[in-house]
Amino acid sequence: MRWRRATIAALALGALAGRASAADEPAAPAAAPAAQQASGTLAPTRIKDLYYGDVLFYFYQDDYFGALTRLRAAQEKDRVSHHADEAELLLGGLWLSYGEHIEAGKIFERLLASNVSPSVANRAWYYLGKIWYQRGYWSEAEGALRKVKGELPPRLEGEKRNLLAQVLIQQGRYDDAIAELNGWRGSPDWTAYAQFNLGVALVRKGRMNDAAALLDGVGRIPTSDEELLALRDKANLALGYAYLQADQPANAKIPLQRVRLQGVQSNKALLAVGWADSAEQKYREALVPWMELHGRNLLDAAVQESYLAVPYAFAKLNANAQAADYYNTAINSYTSESARIDESIAAIRAGKLLDTLIANDREGRNGWFWQLENLPQAPESRYLYHLLAGNEFQEGLKNYRDLNFMQRNLAEWSRSLVAFGDMVDTRQKAYEQRLPKIDASLSGVDPKALQDKRVELESRLNEAEHGGDVVALGTAHEQDMWARIIGMEDALAAQPDDRSLDETRDKVRLLKGVLSWQMNESYKARIWTTRRSLKELDLALREMEKRWLRVQQARDSFPNDTAGFATRVAALKPRIDALNTRLAAASQAQGEYLAGIAVKELEAQKGRLASYQVQARFALATIYDRAANAGSTQ
Amino acid sequence: MLRSLAQWCRASFVSVALLCAAGALADGAAPAANAPAASTATAPAAAPPAATAPAGASGGEFKSLDQEVQSLKTEVVELNKDLFVLEEELLFPANTQIAVFVSLDVGDFFAVDSVTLKIDDNEVANYLYTQREAEALMRGGVHRLYLGNLKVGKHELVAFFTGKGTHERDYKRGATLSFDKGIGAKYLELKISDRVRKLQPEFIVKEWE
Repeated sequence: MRWRRATIAALALGALAGRASAADEPAAPAAAPAAQQASGTLAPTRIKDLYYGDVLFYFYQDDYFGALTRLRAAQEKDRVSHHADEAELLLGGLWLSYGEHIEAGKIFERLLASNVSPSVANRAWYYLGKIWYQRGYWSEAEGALRKVKGELPPRLEGEKRNLLAQVLIQQGRYDDAIAELNGWRGSPDWTAYAQFNLGVALVRKGRMNDAAALLDGVGRIPTSDEELLALRDKANLALGYAYLQADQPANAKIPLQRVRLQGVQSNKALLAVGWADSAEQKYREALVPWMELHGRNLLDAAVQESYLAVPYAFAKLNANAQAADYYNTAINSYTSESARIDESIAAIRAGKLLDTLIANDREGRNGWFWQLENLPQAPESRYLYHLLAGNEFQEGLKNYRDLNFMQRNLAEWSRSLVAFGDMVDTRQKAYEQRLPKIDASLSGVDPKALQDKRVELESRLNEAEHGGDVVALGTAHEQDMWARIIGMEDALAAQPDDRSLDETRDKVRLLKGVLSWQMNESYKARIWTTRRSLKELDLALREMEKRWLRVQQARDSFPNDTAGFATRVAALKPRIDALNTRLAAASQAQGEYLAGIAVKELEAQKGRLASYQVQARFALATIYDRAANAGSTQ
Repeated sequence: MLRSLAQWCRASFVSVALLCAAGALADGAAPAANAPAASTATAPAAAPPAATAPAGASGGEFKSLDQEVQSLKTEVVELNKDLFVLEEELLFPANTQIAVFVSLDVGDFFAVDSVTLKIDDNEVANYLYTQREAEALMRGGVHRLYLGNLKVGKHELVAFFTGKGTHERDYKRGATLSFDKGIGAKYLELKISDRVRKLQPEFIVKEWE
């Protein structure tokens, strides 16, 4: 019973833990009993209701919608009564896994306070807090995360702390966030993330000194771990830009020069180092990072800006001819890049982006754990890299995807419902055709008359038994013989004086004696046999009565049953139609919303290019103006 | 004139740089989409507000849509439940219904590939398990292999299990049960379990009340 014993552990939160572990803790699959013990899940249980196991079958395949439907049906039909509490907790976990956090929250609120082990409750609150955070329900997220009592497993604890701090930052409660993270020491990576997030938040709040200490600390972490190296780059870049904003170019260069040259952040760092040099009037030095940047892919915003920065530096160094050349290159590049962005905007408005993103997902699964992992090779993807990876887009895309799934699901049921309606009609017609035959069969059998006959038989048997009437139990042949002997006796009795009949009288008496002896001999056995036959008759009669009643009941109830089905089919159709209408509207609205934020992002990029272009043109005009003035002066 | 243009130019560059600086503060912390799993997990927390924009950051529109989607999900599941129950009651009325389930207990000695089911010598199901389904069985899931209708009275069920036994050997076994179908639904379970003492799988058909 090893796996059976494990089931509940994998239930409400085991499921969550299972999926989460797959993502967060690959070394400790949640389904393994050892992992469950380590993480402290619910007590083991045995499957006591087959339909509970049926729900788990779909649940373990990550088919949350299928499992939800089956669990709700099983609950309604009282098929999981031995697992009532677990089923309710599982339902909460399934709602959450399916991304329906409102229902999940209601169930957890009701159940987790009392009859669940703290570790299971903690996991439930943690995941609920996470989904609420990702969807921007700040106060709800905070409430859920604060319900976690004690420590979660180390990785989850680190993420929980960060989530809580983020929730507080989102609400502008920076001091609370600092208090939340102060003094907390988790794993080095989570501690670094916490300090980084807080540092960025403090920069935004204008608390530069507090922020600098935190970001500088993260920016100097000694590590060879790729993830922490990336975070270190981000911290150095953020600190560098913060110093630039604060007009402290000399300070800015120190963290900026710590950013790795080949990392994801290197373009922005190169640009910023150039600006720091430029702010100190060191244009020749500024050209070094900017020229490096100029040779990189124009898709990057920092590279785009370098197309403007390089000629700016040349102009500052009075290399006007080179400046003019670079400005012209910039104007042409901005024009073609802007045209490509226009194409992407048109594609998004035509709905191609979402279709491509959804089509890219081949597994056809749904729910909250689903994550867009591979960006399609569409041109717009490269412009929207950060947007597509962000929570707002990802969570919105999950909703869009789930809406599409539900539309397909209802379309299938719509077709089935037509078949159900036809089936009910056909049954009704068949019933009407068969009814005369059924009625004839029913009226051809009279259970009461048969029962009366049986009673009469029994009373005859009783009489025969009480009166010692052996003839009554004789065979037909014996009774016939007996009747003939009696007849002969009567005939002989009518001739009492005829002596010639004496011999016959003796023979008749002998025959009567022999026959009587035979019947007496068999009498007891015949009584027993007849009683047994009577019992068998009782059974047969009872069975006949039951069947007769069943047919009668079926005959009477069929119209009501069929009408009941017809009513249910008729009532379900408008529900499907109404939901379909709402699903279509919601899907359209969700699609437009996602396309809207994508287009907004692209238009911002286009606006930036346009702004660069205007600046390039003005600068070019300035150079020509300067050249013209110099010529006229000469 | 020259001076003023140059000043304008510098000022405008500064503003561009500041724009970019704001972007760096945002984008600098944005998680890379191709980041390793651990970093994906950290993404929501690590990302600063404007970069990963937790959904609520863009205002009420996301939430309003999200709440409508939540409400639709609940209603669609309830509707599915009603349709699911209707389908079963219509096609498999309780008084004639028979359901046959497959369960796997432990499964160290047998990995199921397929199950063939015969009732009264008629093949009613032949199911080939995917790896995902076989794993779901191993984790404690119970598969409803067959749902059908059967007359009241005596019947015989025969099930054939094929799969891999120990040492990857092909394995085929049968199990049989004679049973009475009364009024009301009949549930039968095909249980595959490990008989540890014999280091062999065991196949049992169990009647449920």
